Amino acid sequence: MQVTIEWYIALSTILFTIGALGVLVRRNAIIIFMSVELMLNSANLLLVAFAQQLADAHGQVLVFFVMTVAAAEVAIGLALIVVIFRTKNTIDIGEINLLKG
Amino acid sequence: MNAFGLAPLLLILPIIGVLFNGIVGRYFLDADRSTGEKWSGWFGTAMAVGTFIVSVLIFFSLGANDHHAEIVHLFNWFNIPSGNFTIPWAMQLDTLSSVMTLVVTGVGSLIHIYAIGYMHGDRDFHRFFTYLNLFLFFMLILVTGSSYLMLFVGWEGVGLCSFLLIGFWFDKPKGEGILNGDAARKAFVANRVGDFAMILGMILTFWAFGSMEYEVVFESALDLYTTTETVFIAGIEFTIPQVLTGITVLFLIGATGKSAQIPLFMWLPDAMAGPTPVSALIHAATMVTSGIYLIVRSNVLFEIVRDSGHQLFGIVSAPDLVAIAGAVTAVYAGLVAFTQFDIKKVLAYSTVSQLGFMIAAVGMGAYVAGMFHLVTHAFFKALLFMASGSVIHGMEHGHHHLHEHSHGDDHEEDDFDPQDMRFMGGLREKMPVTFWVYIIGSLALAGIFPFAGFWSKDEILAHSAYGLGVGEATPVFTFVRWMLTIGAFCTAFYMTRQIKMTFFGEGRHEAVKHVPESSPLMTRPLAFLAFLSLMGGALNIPYLTGGGGEEASTPVGMTASVLAAEEDKGLNLAFEHWLEHSIQAFTLEEDFENVVGPNGEHFFTHVPHTPTSLQYDIAISSTLIAVAAILIGWYVVFRVWPRSKEDPDPISQWPVVGFVWTFFQGLPLDTLYMTGIVKNIFNPLARFSDVVDWNFWHNFVHNNLIRDSFVALADFLATVLDPKGVDGIVNGVGQTARNLAEALRRPQTGNTGNYALSLFLGVALLVAFFVFAS
Amino acid sequence: MGNAILFLILAVIAIGAAILMLVSKNAVHSALYLILNFAVIAVYYILLNAPFLAMVQITVYAGAIMVLFLFVIMLLGAEESSGVLGTRRGQLTTALLLGAVLIGSFVAALGQIGGSAASSSVADTTPRNLAIILFESYVFPFEVTGVLLLVAVVGLYVMSSRLVKKD
Repeated sequence: MQVTIEWYIALSTILFTIGALGVLVRRNAIIIFMSVELMLNSANLLLVAFAQQLADAHGQVLVFFVMTVAAAEVAIGLALIVVIFRTKNTIDIGEINLLKG
Repeated sequence: MNAFGLAPLLLILPIIGVLFNGIVGRYFLDADRSTGEKWSGWFGTAMAVGTFIVSVLIFFSLGANDHHAEIVHLFNWFNIPSGNFTIPWAMQLDTLSSVMTLVVTGVGSLIHIYAIGYMHGDRDFHRFFTYLNLFLFFMLILVTGSSYLMLFVGWEGVGLCSFLLIGFWFDKPKGEGILNGDAARKAFVANRVGDFAMILGMILTFWAFGSMEYEVVFESALDLYTTTETVFIAGIEFTIPQVLTGITVLFLIGATGKSAQIPLFMWLPDAMAGPTPVSALIHAATMVTSGIYLIVRSNVLFEIVRDSGHQLFGIVSAPDLVAIAGAVTAVYAGLVAFTQFDIKKVLAYSTVSQLGFMIAAVGMGAYVAGMFHLVTHAFFKALLFMASGSVIHGMEHGHHHLHEHSHGDDHEEDDFDPQDMRFMGGLREKMPVTFWVYIIGSLALAGIFPFAGFWSKDEILAHSAYGLGVGEATPVFTFVRWMLTIGAFCTAFYMTRQIKMTFFGEGRHEAVKHVPESSPLMTRPLAFLAFLSLMGGALNIPYLTGGGGEEASTPVGMTASVLAAEEDKGLNLAFEHWLEHSIQAFTLEEDFENVVGPNGEHFFTHVPHTPTSLQYDIAISSTLIAVAAILIGWYVVFRVWPRSKEDPDPISQWPVVGFVWTFFQGLPLDTLYMTGIVKNIFNPLARFSDVVDWNFWHNFVHNNLIRDSFVALADFLATVLDPKGVDGIVNGVGQTARNLAEALRRPQTGNTGNYALSLFLGVALLVAFFVFAS
Repeated sequence: MGNAILFLILAVIAIGAAILMLVSKNAVHSALYLILNFAVIAVYYILLNAPFLAMVQITVYAGAIMVLFLFVIMLLGAEESSGVLGTRRGQLTTALLLGAVLIGSFVAALGQIGGSAASSSVADTTPRNLAIILFESYVFPFEVTGVLLLVAVVGLYVMSSRLVKKD
C-alpha cells in the first residue's frame, strides 16, 4: 500500500482540526498557544509533503519562514501572557474579557 | 425767451420741500428746536416762494406769447402703442391755469410764512410743512394738468392733503367740537362721493371722445355737436347734448364735493378742526375752489349743453342746475353762518356761501366773474382765516397766561374755548393790527366799495340780473339773483356780528386781558393780504361809463363796435381780457361763425362774454343792502350780549327771526342727513354690513371656516402627527439604533474563545463551500 | 513516499499526542505531548526527504520553543490549568461540529480529486541547495523576516522593561 499525498493531507487536516479545537475549547492561554503551534506544524507538514510530491525544494524554504514567524509569535505571545498574568493574576482567557460589550 | 421751460419747477420745488421736511426735518427739530423750526419752516416757505416766482415768470411769458396756451409735455404716463393709446403727463400753461397758479402759490407763500409763526412750538412742526408742500404739489398738478386725468391726480392728492391736515392734531383729546380724526374722515368720505362722480364723468368723457386731454375733448365735442353726430356708449346711441349733460352733471357733483356745495358741503365746517393756516390755505383760498376751476375749465361742455337747451330729465339744464346749487348753498350757508359762535365756523360757512356765489356765477356762464370772485375771495378769506387764527392764538396765549398766574380754583377755565366768540370781546385794543386787517377783510367780504369783494360780487349779481353771460335773464337767473342778494345780506350781517362779538365791547373772559398781539411773522402776511383785499378789485374794474343793463340784456356778440371799444383797454377788465384766451367758449363764435347749429342758429349766438360796464343800479342796491345789514347787525342784533355759553343768543328770543335763527342753528340739512340718510340708509347699511362683516365674514368665514379648521389642523398636527408621526420616526430611528446596538452587543462577549469560534466558523464554512460548490 | 505501516503508526502517535495535548489537565503534560507530536512530525520530514528541516524542527520547535513554553508554565505556576471546556454552553459542541465539517470537507475534497501520482524526480534538499534557493529567490522575504524578529525583540524589551518599572 503506497503512501500518497492524500494520506498526508488527511493527517495534516486531522492535526489542524485538533489544533483548532484546542484553540476553541481550552481556556488556558498557554495551551491555546500550543494548539496554534500544532496548527502551524500541520501546515508545515503539508508544505513539506507537497514539496516532495512536486519535487520542488521551494516548499521546504517556506517552512523556514513559517518557523521563524512561529518563533517570533511564541516569543511575543508568551511575553504577553506573562504581562497579562502580572496584571490579572490569571491566564484563563475566560476571565480576560475587557472588551465585553 | 420765455419761462415755460421752468414749468416743471412748479412740481419739483414742492417735492423737494416735501422730501426735505419729510426726511430730515425731524432731525433738525430734534437737534435744536428753534434752529430746526427755522430750517424746516423757511425751507418749505422758500419752495413755495420759488413756485410763486416761477408762476410770475410764466405769467409774463404768457403775456409775451400773445396769451397763447403752451403745453409742456413732461413724459408719457401710459403708452400702449398697439392701442394707439397714450396718456401724457403734460402741463397746460394758459391764462386760466396761470391765474390759479398765481393764487395758489402767492397766497400759499404768505400762508407758509404765517404758519411759521402760528405753528411755533408745535411738536410736529416739520410734518406740517411737509403736508403743506405736498398740498402745493398736488394743487399745482390739479391746475396745470392738461387733461382731466391729470386734474384728477391733483384732485385726489389735495383731498389726501386735506385729510392729513385736518387730522393734523389727530391725537388731540376730545374737546368741545368734533375730533380731528373724525373731521378728517368726514371730509375724506364726503369727498369720495364727489370723487366717484368725477371718475364716472371722466370715464364717460373718455368713452365718448376717446381722450381726456382738454383740447382734444373740447375740439371733438364741438365737432360732433355742430355736425349733430351721435356717439355710442355701451352700445346705446346718444346725442352729444345728452352725453354732455351726463358729463357735466357728474362734474357738478364732483365739484359739490370738493367745493363744499349742497348736497356735499357738511365736511367743510368740521374741517375747521385743523390748524388755522390749513383752513386759510386749503379750505378757503385754494383747494375748495378747484370745483369752480373744473367747471370753468370745462366751459365748452357746459356751453354746448346750454346752447342745445337739453334738459336733465326734462326739468332743468345742467348749467342751470349748477347755478341753482350754488345759489341755494350761498343762502343756506349764509343763514347758518350767523347762528354760529365758533369764530372759525362762521368763516367756514361764509366760505361755503361764497363758494356758492362762484358756483352760481359759473353756472350762469359768468366764468370770468366766478374766477374773479375766486381770486378776490382767496385774498380776503385767507386774510380773515389767518386773522381769526391770530385771534385764537392770542386767546390761547391769554388763557395760558391766566392759568399760569392764577394757580387757583378757577372753574371757569374748564369750558374755555379759544375759538368761541362768546368768550371774546374788546380785542381791538389788544390786537390792533389784527383788528384792522379783520375790518378790511370783512368789508371786502361784505362787498363794500371799494374793496375787492365789491367788484367781484357785483359782477356776479349783474350777470344774474341781466343775463350778461347768456344774453338774457331767464327765470333761473332771476331766482339766482334774489338768492344771491339774500346771501349778500347775510354775508354783511354775520361779519358784522362776528366783528362786534370779537373786537368790540367788554372782554367776557379773564383771558382777554392777557391777549398779546401776534408776532410780525403772522401780522405781516396779514397786512399784505389786507392790501390785496383792498386793491384786488382793480384786477377787473368794469367800464364806468357805457351800456347799462339795457344794452347788456340784449343778446350781443363780439360786435365790431365792442371790439373797437376794447382797443382802449387800459386797466379796465384786465382780468377778463386775460382770461378770455383760455375760456374757449368766448372765442368760439369767431371760429364757428359760419357753422349752423342744430337749432338753425349760428353757433353760440349767446357768447357768454360781454364787455361789462359798471351796472350802477346793481352796484348801488347791493351796497345799500350790505350797509343796511351792517347797520342792523351793529345796532339791533347785539345790544345784549350773550354773557356765557349758557345764555341764549338774544336774537333767538325774537318772534319770527328767532324761529328762523333757531331753525338754522340746528343745521337743518345736517339734521336731514342724519335722520334721512344716515338713519334710514346708512344705519341699515351699517347693520347689514355688520351682519355680513361680523356674522358672516368674521364669525362664519374667519372663525368657523378658517380659524376652526386651522385649529383642528393644528390640533391634529400637535396631538397626532407630531407625537406619533414625527416623534415616532425620530424616536424610532433612535430606538432601532439602540435595539440594533443591543443585539450587536451580545456577540461582543469579550471571550476570546467565542471570537475564535466565529473565525473558525467562517473558515469551515468557506472550505465547505468551495469543496461542495465546485 | 514511504512505508504505509510506518506512516500509520506515526500518524497514530501524532494524532494521539495531539489529542492528549488537548485534553491534558496539566499544562506541563500538554507541552510534553506536543513535543512528542513535533518529534513525530520531524520523523515525517525525514520520510519526506527533508532531513535538514527535521533537524530544525527538533532544535527550534521541540527544543527552543517548547522549552520556552515549559519555562513560562513553570514561571507562572500554571501547571494546573483551568477547565478544559469552553466557558459557554455550546462552544464545545459547535467547535466539534465545525471540526467535523472541516474534516468532512477535506475528505470529500480528497474523494473528488482521487489518487494522484507523485513526481518521479526528487528535489535537491541539501542545506546548501536550500540556502541557494533562500538567498536567491526569497532574499526580500528573508530580510522582512529579519525585521520581524527585530520588532519582536524590541517588543519584548518594551514589555519586560515596563514590568521592571512596575515592580
